[in-house]
Amino acid sequence: MIEICSLSYNINRNIILEDINLTLTDGEFAALIGPNGAGKSTLIKLILGFLPLQTGAIYIEGIPHLEWLKEHSIGYLPQHEEFNRNFPATAMEIVLMGLVRELHPGSRFKSIHRQRAMQALTLTGIAHLANHQLGSLSGGELQRVFLARALVSDSKYLILDEPEASLDQPGVKSLFILLKDLNKAGKTILTISHDLNILSEYCSFLICLNRRLHCHTSAELVNAEIIHKTFGDTVRLIEKDY
Amino acid sequence: MYNFIYQAILAALLSSFSLALFSPLVTLRQVSYMGEALSHIAFAGIALALLLELNLQLTTLIFVVIVALAISWLSQKHKLQEANTITIFLSVSMALGIILISLKKGYSFDLESYLFGNVLMVSPSEIYQLIVLALLDIFFISFFYKELFYLSYNAEMAKFYGVPVKLVNTIFMILLAANIVITLRAAGIILVSAQLILPAVTAFNLVKRLDYSILCSAFIAILAASGGFALSWWLDLPTGANIVLLEFVFYLISLLFMTRPKTA
Repeated sequence: MIEICSLSYNINRNIILEDINLTLTDGEFAALIGPNGAGKSTLIKLILGFLPLQTGAIYIEGIPHLEWLKEHSIGYLPQHEEFNRNFPATAMEIVLMGLVRELHPGSRFKSIHRQRAMQALTLTGIAHLANHQLGSLSGGELQRVFLARALVSDSKYLILDEPEASLDQPGVKSLFILLKDLNKAGKTILTISHDLNILSEYCSFLICLNRRLHCHTSAELVNAEIIHKTFGDTVRLIEKDY
Repeated sequence: MYNFIYQAILAALLSSFSLALFSPLVTLRQVSYMGEALSHIAFAGIALALLLELNLQLTTLIFVVIVALAISWLSQKHKLQEANTITIFLSVSMALGIILISLKKGYSFDLESYLFGNVLMVSPSEIYQLIVLALLDIFFISFFYKELFYLSYNAEMAKFYGVPVKLVNTIFMILLAANIVITLRAAGIILVSAQLILPAVTAFNLVKRLDYSILCSAFIAILAASGGFALSWWLDLPTGANIVLLEFVFYLISLLFMTRPKTA
């Protein structure tokens, strides 16, 4: 369970998040929606410990999140990952990064780790690219490599920041089917997304954020009123057929 | 006579080898500019040691390590762009070095041998230092290979996935400073940065794995050091400059054999 208590965050006196209180119970498949600049990525980065807390607290399984993160890992798929396209790494080596916490400094990956990495690559459908250089992969393939890295540690929690970026429509659909299967298998998932149709189909819990938490309710309850409250007048619902 | 020559060959080989081991990591982490800056910052350390009549190498090493860690700390804590921080320290250190040297009135300082390096000036005790440095480099890179790999890939994600980024980065910076200071007499302030970059960019044209590129980089450096020393022996040319020019020739040749990433 992830608990966020009275969380506020500002950058140069601009309020990014204000008094956020939220509980993400185990087994939930939650979606975080909101307009650009609503603080979605900031909230995720605070949970993951990339940003320091200013006001409020975050607990994971009842333990302050930074303490918890020292001993455990959370699967994380970032929106953009900065790296040198010429970096001499294969897809397999990047997936193995997700297992570093399980090894002591100075120790090497063993065949069991490589097997687990290969299983994660198989799960995301790119096992055949295991030995390919990162620089040779397309945006969609890279996204799957990073997703495999998020899955390889078999963490109880999975956090995704706009996973549909770089994926085509069938790719988005197959990704969410995979996420739903992982959720059914017990993983607690929190994903940022703009695709309300796909969220309402697959997610069980909706978090609407626009600096403040506007509502958090079952995904089936997505309706024009909630969207209006979160996004303002700039958005209207359009049915999309995948 | 022969001892003197063996000593000079060893100095050229060991200094090129040590710098080449660090070369792929420095290049991938995009801190090659830091390498160049630290070699110039060492000038202020040398001047300080001369003025205060302290142990030259130890004073320079402590000075450069402190500045290297300060640059790293300032860049991270105050979000200053690393290139800007480095430029500030480089210029200030050079200015400080010039002032300190001019304060030491009546002292004739062999600036040229520090600027361009002179393997013939390397003493037996400095050879031992170069041997210890090479062994430390090998141990550090072998032991922390996994950590260095992910730190070079993306430091923020490496930290998230449990790499002890602060520890490895601090040791990296201290060893980088040590490599620059200890190889300075053989490689020279001006030329040391070339030996930190050229072997790696050549290696990356030939191989597409970090471990192979470290080995390839070291091999290129040994080849260039041997060739550079031979040329200086036959043609009476400065060894450091020969090594850098040969490394550049190897780089040009490597462009012909450049490997492309596998396509998906």
